[in-house]
Amino acid sequence: MQEIIKPPVEVRYQKELEALASTDSAEERQKRPENWKMSPKAVRTFILGSEKPIEYEGSTYLIQKKYFGNDALVERCIVTLAGNRGLMLVGEPGTAKTMLSELLSAAISGNSKNTIQGTAGTTEDMIKYSWNYALLLAKGPTREALVPSPLYVGMEKGILTRFEEITRTPAEIQDSLISVLSDKVLNIPELGDDGFLFARPGFNVIGTANTRDKGVNEMSSALKRRFNFETVMPVNKVSLEKQIIMNEVNMLARESHVDMKADEDVAELLATTYHELREGVSSYGHRIDKPNSVMSTAEAVSVYYQTMLTGYYYGDGHLDVECLVQNLVGAISKEDKDDLEKVKGYFNTVIRDKGSKEGGIWKQYYEARKWLK
Amino acid sequence: METILRSEEMAEIARICLIPVRHHSPACAFHVKKVIGEWKPDAVLVEGPDNANAMIPVMVHGDTRAPFAIYYAYHDKAGKISGQQEHYKCYYPFLDYSPELVALREAHRNMTCVSFIDLSYGDILYASHVNCREGQERSGNPESMETYNDDYLLTRNAYITRLCEKTGMRSFEEFWEKYFELNGMDEDSDVWFSHLNTYCALARENTPETELEMEGCLARERHMAARIVQKVQGGCRRVLVVTGGFHTPGLRELLSAEKWQETAAYAKSIGQYVPHEDESVYLMPYTMEAADALNGYASGMPYTGFYQKIWDGIASQVQKPYEEAVLDMIVSSGKELRKQEGYLSTYDEICAWQMAQGLCSLRGKPQPGAYELQDAVLSSYVKGEYNIASDMPVRILRQLMTGTGSGALCTQADVPPIVLDFEKQCSQFGIRTNTTLEKEVVFSIFSSKKHRQMSMFFHRLVFLKTPFAVRVKGPDLQRRVDRNLVREVWKYKYHAQVYAALIDVSVYGATVEDAVMGIVEEQLGRDIGADSAALLLTQVFEMGMESQLDKVYGAVQDAILQDADFYSVADALKSLLMMEELGVLYESRMEFGALLRQGVRKLLTLLSGIARIRDEKLDESMEALKLLYRITGRKDYETEREDFFEALERMQGDTQIHAGLNGCIHGILYGGGRESAHEVGMVCKGYLTGTREQLLQTAVFFRGLFFAARDLLLIEKELLGMMDSFLGEVSEDEFMELLPQLRMAFAYFTPSETDKIAGRAAAFHQKRREDIMEREEILPEWFSYGKRLDAYVWDRMSRAYPEG
Repeated sequence: MQEIIKPPVEVRYQKELEALASTDSAEERQKRPENWKMSPKAVRTFILGSEKPIEYEGSTYLIQKKYFGNDALVERCIVTLAGNRGLMLVGEPGTAKTMLSELLSAAISGNSKNTIQGTAGTTEDMIKYSWNYALLLAKGPTREALVPSPLYVGMEKGILTRFEEITRTPAEIQDSLISVLSDKVLNIPELGDDGFLFARPGFNVIGTANTRDKGVNEMSSALKRRFNFETVMPVNKVSLEKQIIMNEVNMLARESHVDMKADEDVAELLATTYHELREGVSSYGHRIDKPNSVMSTAEAVSVYYQTMLTGYYYGDGHLDVECLVQNLVGAISKEDKDDLEKVKGYFNTVIRDKGSKEGGIWKQYYEARKWLK
Repeated sequence: METILRSEEMAEIARICLIPVRHHSPACAFHVKKVIGEWKPDAVLVEGPDNANAMIPVMVHGDTRAPFAIYYAYHDKAGKISGQQEHYKCYYPFLDYSPELVALREAHRNMTCVSFIDLSYGDILYASHVNCREGQERSGNPESMETYNDDYLLTRNAYITRLCEKTGMRSFEEFWEKYFELNGMDEDSDVWFSHLNTYCALARENTPETELEMEGCLARERHMAARIVQKVQGGCRRVLVVTGGFHTPGLRELLSAEKWQETAAYAKSIGQYVPHEDESVYLMPYTMEAADALNGYASGMPYTGFYQKIWDGIASQVQKPYEEAVLDMIVSSGKELRKQEGYLSTYDEICAWQMAQGLCSLRGKPQPGAYELQDAVLSSYVKGEYNIASDMPVRILRQLMTGTGSGALCTQADVPPIVLDFEKQCSQFGIRTNTTLEKEVVFSIFSSKKHRQMSMFFHRLVFLKTPFAVRVKGPDLQRRVDRNLVREVWKYKYHAQVYAALIDVSVYGATVEDAVMGIVEEQLGRDIGADSAALLLTQVFEMGMESQLDKVYGAVQDAILQDADFYSVADALKSLLMMEELGVLYESRMEFGALLRQGVRKLLTLLSGIARIRDEKLDESMEALKLLYRITGRKDYETEREDFFEALERMQGDTQIHAGLNGCIHGILYGGGRESAHEVGMVCKGYLTGTREQLLQTAVFFRGLFFAARDLLLIEKELLGMMDSFLGEVSEDEFMELLPQLRMAFAYFTPSETDKIAGRAAAFHQKRREDIMEREEILPEWFSYGKRLDAYVWDRMSRAYPEG
């Protein structure tokens, strides 16, 4: 029985990471930026996979592709992190920004846990440092009494600091990063002459930010200038989206000890629905009203997984299309009531035609439209 | 050389060197130049239609500047391709770094005999279409083959898709740049060509034979091989052949010992598929923009401006031409961006350069190339989410990478007859073509015969899409506006694109008039609606192409008969009516009476179908009804008028009729004496006393009614009372919603009429006209306070948003 629900990337892929780091050639080792666990090429291989297996300590490892989408974007991210600017991943919710930032941190610094989780209540203390007040009263302002923030730790150890959901933090709090990012030094006036923390090589910041959610703050231009921006787009191929859904659902099932495998046809059904509703046009050329809700792959995974769990616990291990439609309703009608009407329209045109043309599961899917209410 | 074919049997007599190339590849051009210099052939044969051989002296002339293109045109008079007598045209663009052009230039420099060896354009079309007809699908569309280059054969097949996946490249172009361009100059020509040969052989192996047949490849290769054999038999000892890499394996096979005799036999009787007198070939100046493969015209490598820089770098022996070009473009796009948006810092440029270098090292490339450049700019210049509002840096870079250069031809270039005709007409009219300065002219088209002729000439050039003259003022018959104007103001300017555009249409005829006729006829051949046919008739009318009027007239007649779209026929009718009215002024002999009547009859049959229109169609429908009312009011249209009123009455019977249209119909029937003011009032009352939704429809009903008969409101007093009670019924929110419709309804009245109506409306509420027209006094201090407040807000706003 595993002890934690979701182990961090560096734990889950520990062997792969070790294997990749050890198989860096001498030339690659030389090219490793200081304090990086592996060369930029190996980081790329870790995230984008390789067809060539690697030998390490008597075992063979085939590095699987972990991030599907834009390979060039991953390469740009790696190069950015080796440079002087921070990396800001922006995009719609559910486009695997966090996953990418975890993969990058685990591969580069061997640690994806050094994270600030941005909320509307994040304060400057949480970003820089705070104090253990008992020690502060007993010993005065010393390093011992200081409680370092993830940013502090990153600078001190020369590792990456992840800043999740940076735009949920108020703009003036976000701006406390500006001087740290440009000067690479943190001032701690309480410590007097020793109050300077100079960042060690290897330190950098990966931010992630949503662009479509409610309750996000605009970033100041000064902060924007200190980051290279990468826009993570939703997956644009149905086949790829289907693959992601299957991979993720199977992994979730494995982790929860649910003895079921994702069904390819259902995954395709869901991938097609999400893809078409997101793009506003069907594979047959129908024009579709786009829902306002976020139609992300992550949402599709959760709809599928929920349906799978229902099937596992209540349906004798059988996956029910009607249940899938019910879960779809739940996922779509979160924000806007009109969205449900749009999905109904989608079923009454596109799915109807697909059902009559392709039959099988598409027909069942169309027949389950009664749950759209 | 290992890379070349040497037919063993022929070794004693001659050596043939087959050089595979990719169009617009600087590395390839570099090696072609090197090989020609080292190998010293006594004949250079280049892939290109052999009926363009006469162009070679102009192409290699010192005054000719790339980019230019060979323009091929074929008029299929014999109907050999699709059975229709269609016009076909295509371009074969050349840039300074096109290996073919380098081969031609080098051969010329070394005084080596040089010629093109491919089938002519018409024959290629025939060969590919004949093979398609035998069971395979391919569009017979004349525009489906607009470029001569066939590089796409090298870039699309399952093998290449897999290759890109395996090498982690996002596209074939990136693959090509990495493996053939970036270190291309440092490699030995033998090695470089052997890599290309291997690649081409694999690409060919993975292309099905049927596709080769369909594309006409096999016929072309047979022809090229035969031309090579002819050259050898003609006594050449060292023959260098430059062809697209895709054809090299095919040619090698045809020239092999086993096939040599067969090819030689074919060479004795090279035939032709289409009559050569129906083909024409010209050189024309071209632009970088048109030559860039990404613009959808030509194939070959994209980013013409970027690779031109690489080629210039190679020519001036720069150590790392790619690095230089990437850095140069990072800086120049940054400069341009600062000019347009003003936010970019030098540090951004430094970061972009670091990004390009970092990516280059990560991707294992010897120098950063076009893709690292694009990634660098995307990553370092775009601030915030990448979308249409923030993609300016990428767009600027894209423009720079395409380049803006255009070519020029030397004076010895063959001038096509249409250009001669254009120049002749210009000189007759005193229009200057020897300067590129813009000139403005004013034509009194109705009082001066010469001016009308000049105007017709300009209209014809506009019709031919020649960027020579632009009308800035004057009656616009196509849009039916400014018809009251009696003068036309034109601006004209001569530049190289005019020449290119004229050559472009030379396929349709040898004179400007002929080309216009050719295009008109082609358009008539298509399946067009009544509105498009009438528009074409208007254009012909405007251009004064009297000889064409009859034909187009017939086409409009057919189109009206076949068109079942009410709005399309109504639009045609408007154009016809306008031409009939202007016929005398434009001195046209054409009679439009019969056509007009036919249009009216057709509209009457379609009328009943428009009762339940959508809101957005209301204006168009009311205009059409008014037009019918106007035409059927003529003396000899009594029968049509009766039918018109009957059709309207039938429409009224539809309970679902659009309220606005219903109002308009009642207005028309009232105007035609078929309905009394009282009856109209009753209908209005019906809406007012109906259900809530019907009540709300009253506003749009009024709009329709006043559009057709606004005098009703002034005559029928009861109507105003009804309107007053209607406004009393609706809530404030509903009123706000209806306000746009009400505003539109009252827009049909003149100011004095509105004034009068307001006076009467005031009386309903025991007020005088003055009570509602005059407002309470405003104290001077209030006014000055308001003014100060206004100025303060304005000042703060303009400080906060200096850009406005």
